[in-house]
Amino acid sequence: MSVRTSSTHRYDAVIIGSGVMGATTALMLGRAGLKTALVDRRSIFREASGVNAGTLTLHMIRAGLIPHAMRGREMWLNAREWLGRDVGATATPGLSLAFTPAECELVEQRATVRREMGAPIEVISGARAREIEPGANPDVLAAAYCPLDGFIPTYVVGQAYARALAQAGVDVLEDCPVSDVTPCDGGGYDIVTGGRAGMVHGTRVVFAGGVWLQRMLAWLGLNVRIRCLINQLVVTERMPPVMNNVISIANGLLSLKQFQNGTVLIGGGWQGEGNIDEGGTRVIPENLQGNVRLARHTIPRLDQSRIVRVWLGLESETDDAMPIIGSIPTYDNAFVIGCVHSGFTSGPYMGALLARHILGEDVDLAAFDIGRFTAMASPVSQEEK
Amino acid sequence: MKHDCDCIIVGAGVAGAMTALVAQRHGLHVIVVDDNATPGGQVYRQPSPYARAHVPADAERREGDHLRDKLRTSGIEIRSGHSVWSVTAGFRVELCHDEAMASLSAPVLVGATGATERFHPFEGWTDPAVTGLAAASILLRAGGILPGQRTVVAGSGPLLFSVAHQIMELGGEVAAIVDTASTAQWARMGATLVLDAARMGQGLAWMREIRRRKIPIHHRACVRSVTRRGSVVDVTIRSLAGNGRDVTIAADAVACGYGLRPSTDLSRLLHARHDYDGAAGYWQCAADPYGRSSIDGFYVSGDGAGIRGASVARLRGILSGHAIAHDMGRIDSTTFADLCRPVLSRLRRLDVVSRQMVRLMNPGGIVLANTEADTPVCRCERVSRATIEQAIDDGAHEINQVKSWTRCGMGPCQGRMCEDSVRQLLAHRTHQGPDVVGHYTTRMPLRPLPVQAVTGTYTYADIPLPKAAPL
Repeated sequence: MSVRTSSTHRYDAVIIGSGVMGATTALMLGRAGLKTALVDRRSIFREASGVNAGTLTLHMIRAGLIPHAMRGREMWLNAREWLGRDVGATATPGLSLAFTPAECELVEQRATVRREMGAPIEVISGARAREIEPGANPDVLAAAYCPLDGFIPTYVVGQAYARALAQAGVDVLEDCPVSDVTPCDGGGYDIVTGGRAGMVHGTRVVFAGGVWLQRMLAWLGLNVRIRCLINQLVVTERMPPVMNNVISIANGLLSLKQFQNGTVLIGGGWQGEGNIDEGGTRVIPENLQGNVRLARHTIPRLDQSRIVRVWLGLESETDDAMPIIGSIPTYDNAFVIGCVHSGFTSGPYMGALLARHILGEDVDLAAFDIGRFTAMASPVSQEEK
Repeated sequence: MKHDCDCIIVGAGVAGAMTALVAQRHGLHVIVVDDNATPGGQVYRQPSPYARAHVPADAERREGDHLRDKLRTSGIEIRSGHSVWSVTAGFRVELCHDEAMASLSAPVLVGATGATERFHPFEGWTDPAVTGLAAASILLRAGGILPGQRTVVAGSGPLLFSVAHQIMELGGEVAAIVDTASTAQWARMGATLVLDAARMGQGLAWMREIRRRKIPIHHRACVRSVTRRGSVVDVTIRSLAGNGRDVTIAADAVACGYGLRPSTDLSRLLHARHDYDGAAGYWQCAADPYGRSSIDGFYVSGDGAGIRGASVARLRGILSGHAIAHDMGRIDSTTFADLCRPVLSRLRRLDVVSRQMVRLMNPGGIVLANTEADTPVCRCERVSRATIEQAIDDGAHEINQVKSWTRCGMGPCQGRMCEDSVRQLLAHRTHQGPDVVGHYTTRMPLRPLPVQAVTGTYTYADIPLPKAAPL
C-alpha cells in the first residue's frame, strides 16, 4: 500500500524523494538497522528515475563521474545480488559515431578525456564500427568504442525497489508532498507532509528531490541554483532486430538502443518545454523531428518503424554540472544527494555511498560538497521561502 | 501566433459537422480535420459502393448522406484523411496525412472525437474470430460484410440488438445474443424510451425480428471463453446471476463489446479537467452543455463529453457552434440565449433516455469475474492479470505505476483496450474508488506515427544539432 506508517512517526532517517538516489540511500540505511522513511509527493520512481533512457554508458557521462558510473553499472548488472531481483540490465558495447571530420575530432577529444578517467574507450575506424554495428549508417567515418556500456528498461526498476524497501522495513510514504522541513531544538527535523503521513520527525534528513532540490534546500535557508533539463524520449513499436549496441553520436546528443522486446528507445537530451512549479511539460514538435532524424540517420532501418510514445523526463543540474552529495554545512544530520549527470547509471552507487557516509564511514565526497555553492550564497529570506 | 483560421474542429462526425456548420453561419472561418476518408464519423459513416448496393438504406444512411451534402455545399474546408497526432496549447494541431506532416493553428479548438469501444478480456479474446461489437457494426453497415456465417453477438447496450439486426439483414446467422443487462433493466429502459419515439420504434422492430427467428438471448450473462476448434470456435456463455450453468455453443465469429466510452485523447493531452462518471463507468472531459471545457478556447462536442448518442451529439454540435460564436464576440448574449433555448429543451428530453442507455452499457466489474490469472489483459504487450496483480501487491496503487511496472498499455493501441480493465483490477484490489486510481497519461503521438512521416526527406546537414554536451 501507499502509506506504511508506524504509530510514532519518528524515524532515525527520513529521505525526501524516492528516485534511485533517495531509494538506494533509504534501502541501505534501512538494512543497516536505522528506522527509515522514504517520502514522496507521488509514487516511487515516477519521475526521472522511472522515465529516463536507461543508458548505461561511459560515452556520455561527465568525465569526472566515470569511476562512479563504472561502479553503478556493475551494481545494475548484479542487481539480483544486492536488490534481490534482476532488473533486465543488459551489458553491451557502446559506440559513439562521427559523421563529419569535425565530429571525428570531437570523438577523439572526448575519448581521450574519458580514457584518462579510467574508461576503456578507444577510437576505431568507420569500417570497424560497421563490423561491430552492421545496422549503422555506412557514412560513419570513425567511432569511439567502449566495451562497458549497456541499458536497463528503467520503468520496471521501481517494482524491484518497492519489494526490497518493504523487506528492509523502510516505510514508503507515497502521495505525501513535503511542504516544509524545520530543525528541532532537541535535534533532528520536523518534516511537514500534506499526505496521510502528516508530520514526521527524523533524527536525520536526506534531501533527494532531483529537480525540486532547489526548493527543498530553501527550507533550510540555503540558496542553491538547480537547473531543470526537460529531456525528450521517444520509443518505437516493436520491430525486428536493427541494432545490437548502445549507440550515440560524437556530440553526445543521441542515445539509441533496442530492448529485448524489440522497441527502440531514442534519447539524447533534446529539450521539451515545461515548468516544475506549474507542472506539465510539452513536447516541441521540431525537436521531436530533429531527434528522430538524427536517430534514423544513425540507424537507417528505423525508417521502417512507427513512434508509439514521446515523453519528457526532468534532469537536475547544478551551475558546474557536477553533483551535490554529502552533509549540508552548518546543519547536523542533514544531507543532500542529487544533480548527478546521467545519474541513473551511477545512481545506486551514489546512494550507497551517501548511506555509508551517513553511517559514519569515511568516504570521499569532497568533489560533491554542496559547500562550493553555499559558502558564498546569502541565506534565503523568509519572504522568498 | 499567426492563426490559420478562427476555429479548428477535430472530427467530422455529426457533432463536429454541426459545430462547423453553425459556427460558419455566424461568420467564423472553420477548418474541420478528420481521419476518415469522408465525413460522417461512425454513426453516419459513408457506406462503400458494395454496402450501398447490398444493405437496405435506413434513416441513418439518409441522414448521413444529407449531412455530407450540407457540408459539401457549405464550402467548409474539410481535411479528410488527416490524423491528429498532437495538440498543444494555443492551439496548434499536428497532422499526419499520407506520411506527410502538417500543422494548423487557431484560437479555438473543438474536440468532436466521439466514442471508443470498451473491451474487457476473457479466455480466448485474442482469437481472430473475436471482433468488437462496434467494429462489427462498422463492418456490416459501411462495408456490407458479415463478421462470420454464424455469429455470437455479445456485450452490453443497444448495439447488441442493432448488430444482430444488421447481421440478419445481410443474410447471416446470429447464434445467440449475450447481454450483461437484465430484462428488468431493459424494461426500465423501455419505459424511458417513450421520450424518444424514433429510437423506440427502431428498437421494437429489431426485437420483433429477433423473436421471429427464435434467436436465444442470454440476459445477465457474458462470454466466458472462446476456444478454437478448427475453423469454428466454442463460445462458453456464463450467467452473471450466479445461478445458471455455463452454456457452450459453436460459432465462427464473436462480436463482443461492452458499450462505448468517450474518446478523451485530445482533452487528456491538453490536461483539461476530467470527471469520472460512476454510473457510466468511464472518464469524460468536464464540459458545460455548450462543450466549454476547463481550458479557455477548448470545446468538447458530442460523445467526447459523455456518451449520449447521435441525436444528442447533433444538438451538442449546434450548441457548441453558437457558443463559440458568442464567446468570440460574434453574437450577443440575448441572441445566443434565444438560439440555444429550443435546442437545450430538446437536449434535456433526449438526455434522460441517453443517460439510461449509458447505465445499461456499463457492465460493472466484469473483468474480475471473467478472467483467469493467465488471461492477457493487455493484448498488445501480453500482460496477464496475474502480472498486473503482482505489481499492485508490490505497491502500485495508481494506474500509471501499474503501466510502468508491467508494460500494460504501452503497446500500439496505447492503452485504449486495457485501461478500463486495469482500472477495475486496481480499484478492486486496493479498495480504492475507480476515480482515485486515475487514468493513463496520454502521450503524443495520439496514434503510432511512421518514422518516415516524422523525418521526411533530409540530409545530415538539415538536422539542427544542439551544441555538444559538456565533457
